[in-house]
Amino acid sequence: MFFNSIDFLIFLPIVFLLYWFVTKKNLQLQNILLLIASYFFYACWDYRFLFLLIFSTLLDYFTGLKMGTTQKPGKRKFWFWLSIIVNLGFLGVFKYYNFFAASFAESLSFLGIKTNFWVLNVILPVGISFYTFHGISYVIDIYKKRIEPEKNFIEYSVFVSFFPLLVAGPIERATHLLPQIKQQRVFDYSKAVDGLRQMLWGLFKKIVIADNCAEYANEIFNNSAAYSGSTLLLGALFFTFQIYCDFSGYSDIALGTARLFGIDLLRNFAFPYFSRDIAEFWRRWHISLSTWFRDYLYIPLGGSKGGTLMKVRNTFIIFLVSGFWHGANWTFIIWGALNAIYFLPSLLRNKNRDNLGTVAEGKYLPTLKELMNMGITFALTVFAWIFFRAESVTQAFQYIRTIFSQSLFTMPDSIAFAHSQNNVLIMILLLFFFIIVEWIGRERQYAIAGIGLKLPRMLRWGFYFFLIFLMAMYMSTSGSAFIYFQF
Amino acid sequence: MKKFFKNLLLFFTYAIVLYLLFIILWGELMPPFARKNLNYSLGAYGHMHTRLQEVSNYNNIDILFTGSSHAYRGFDTRIAESYGYTTFNLGSSAQTPVQTKLLLERYLEQLQPKILIYEVYPYTFEIDGVESSLDIIANGTIDGNTLKMAFKLNHIKTYNSLVYGCYRHLLNRDKNFKENTVTGEDTYIPGGFVERKITNNADSVPVTGKKTEWIAIPYQLAAFEQTVTLLKQKGIKLILVQAPVTKQEKEKYTNNKQIDDYFTAKATYYNFNNFLNLSDSLHFYNKDHLNQEGVSVFNRSLFDIIKNY
Repeated sequence: MFFNSIDFLIFLPIVFLLYWFVTKKNLQLQNILLLIASYFFYACWDYRFLFLLIFSTLLDYFTGLKMGTTQKPGKRKFWFWLSIIVNLGFLGVFKYYNFFAASFAESLSFLGIKTNFWVLNVILPVGISFYTFHGISYVIDIYKKRIEPEKNFIEYSVFVSFFPLLVAGPIERATHLLPQIKQQRVFDYSKAVDGLRQMLWGLFKKIVIADNCAEYANEIFNNSAAYSGSTLLLGALFFTFQIYCDFSGYSDIALGTARLFGIDLLRNFAFPYFSRDIAEFWRRWHISLSTWFRDYLYIPLGGSKGGTLMKVRNTFIIFLVSGFWHGANWTFIIWGALNAIYFLPSLLRNKNRDNLGTVAEGKYLPTLKELMNMGITFALTVFAWIFFRAESVTQAFQYIRTIFSQSLFTMPDSIAFAHSQNNVLIMILLLFFFIIVEWIGRERQYAIAGIGLKLPRMLRWGFYFFLIFLMAMYMSTSGSAFIYFQF
Repeated sequence: MKKFFKNLLLFFTYAIVLYLLFIILWGELMPPFARKNLNYSLGAYGHMHTRLQEVSNYNNIDILFTGSSHAYRGFDTRIAESYGYTTFNLGSSAQTPVQTKLLLERYLEQLQPKILIYEVYPYTFEIDGVESSLDIIANGTIDGNTLKMAFKLNHIKTYNSLVYGCYRHLLNRDKNFKENTVTGEDTYIPGGFVERKITNNADSVPVTGKKTEWIAIPYQLAAFEQTVTLLKQKGIKLILVQAPVTKQEKEKYTNNKQIDDYFTAKATYYNFNNFLNLSDSLHFYNKDHLNQEGVSVFNRSLFDIIKNY
């Protein structure tokens, strides 16, 4: 079940009504309802993998309890590693086995040894990377004695499986979400309205911007050998907007949906394309994953407390792991490495925390320097996304070679845009509209959070009506799944 | 909570009203390229406007043809007439079973045909039917069946075009529209046939494409089966026909036998690709449409069979 489907449009109001009217005063019942709804939501995709989700939940719940009931370091360590190994084992089998088997076979064949590895023909269970990370952070927090294990199985299961975040995050922490699940929720009008507003903006980003950009980006990336440098550059730009609007759109819908149930999820995006350097970009892009890696990998490795060499090593480790988390492909690893390279200069000069605030705070326009810095950061990001989107490293290099050829200075190939039902001019206008709204709302939690709040209701609503109309008129009808479902 | 639901209701009420208004405004003021999901093309798509205007003049016919462009470009009403049949051709571009059902529900009572020749192009069972729905909305009347079709397809383009179409029909905005009988290389022949007299086939060089499996969309199969039932109930003889296509088109599917078996089980069925030996370069003007020479051969073969009924 996708957030942008009719099924979800029916599912959400039913759960909402049951939640606030049928189970309203009983926390336990509310949580049971959320759990059933979450499992149903997941089973709509593929009920077979529901068992994997339940097994993973049971594993972390019991190992957490076991760690909590014993004070013996050896036993605690045993239960801790059992959970980590099994969790990563599942992730390894479903997500990485084929990659390692193929890479190993290739290395051996390079040495003249022929091998015949089994290739697993399995589907990647949707959301596995997300719920596995939920579980791992929970187990680490118990092992490190930051939290007490959760004794109520239903509440713990809701923490892992809460449907808005189940398949593509944000990656929650037990310290943030569990207390909310354990607490009596009271309907809050402002929170619910804010949730609906965020869902509206998320949906606009997904079905109007991301899916329409995808039509161009897919055509250009899938046939990159046939197009000129200028066309490929446009393809990379379209993908840059596609991936941001796709994933942040998903996150907005997830956060908005959770708010309807009185639950606040972690913020996942904070206008990353308005960043003035790469360090700022990474504080604003997929925040729940970046902070997860920071807390559970970077800091345990020593963070930036050691010498220069250690800083460099740790930075490379988290970016490479982050790349690898996205998928078993060298393109993701290179994407991670490239971002590490981008990040290093500011880290080594201790300038990685220069831009902690929002660009042009309290002003309408950025300064020339800010504009230039944003432009450079954006260009570096676009370049890195080429590796992220390409099917293979060879294609990525070929793509970049063509961009930096003489054909960059020719007119883009019109045929690349003819396959889409969109008109390029309209698409550019929609992109401009989107960028302006994001710029206006950049100091808020999401772009339209504050737009028109001081205006009379009908004017404010007029803006929302306009967004709904734009969706009806310009949404992509080719429809595509959220990109991050595959991770 | 009460305030939340009250405002939500109010918001959606306004949203619906403004959506309708915006659709009308956009349709009136914007050029076609700027209204992506609102496609209201009067007279486009194979003379459907003229055909649906003309159909009101017909009743109690011998044969009614229906189906995709293979039908309105493949069944020549003049040749049928030479065999002594009164006919009408209700074929339309990319017409899928959902639209066939709609058109039959709308016109069957009036036309009262003795035989229905239903051109079953397998591809039309695989597509969503949106393109054809826009054709019917813009060029035909809008009634309860159109609404049912829109809900069945559940596509934003169909909804938007239906809203705009309702507005134009209500205000009679299309009353002065007159479609040309000759558009490009096509000539509309009274009775619904569209003639194209091209002799050379630009697609005659076979393209070796990958074969695919024919997989029909369940709601298209359901609509088709409902049509078969409807015709049985009304006692109308149903003949299913696959019109000839070029070799490359014919061999597109891996499960041609399954397709033939399916249609054979439903009614009297003739796949002319199995027994008409046409030349890709002489009898077609593209990979799946007959030219007039091809139509002539195909129709004579068809009516030689029909005359035995």
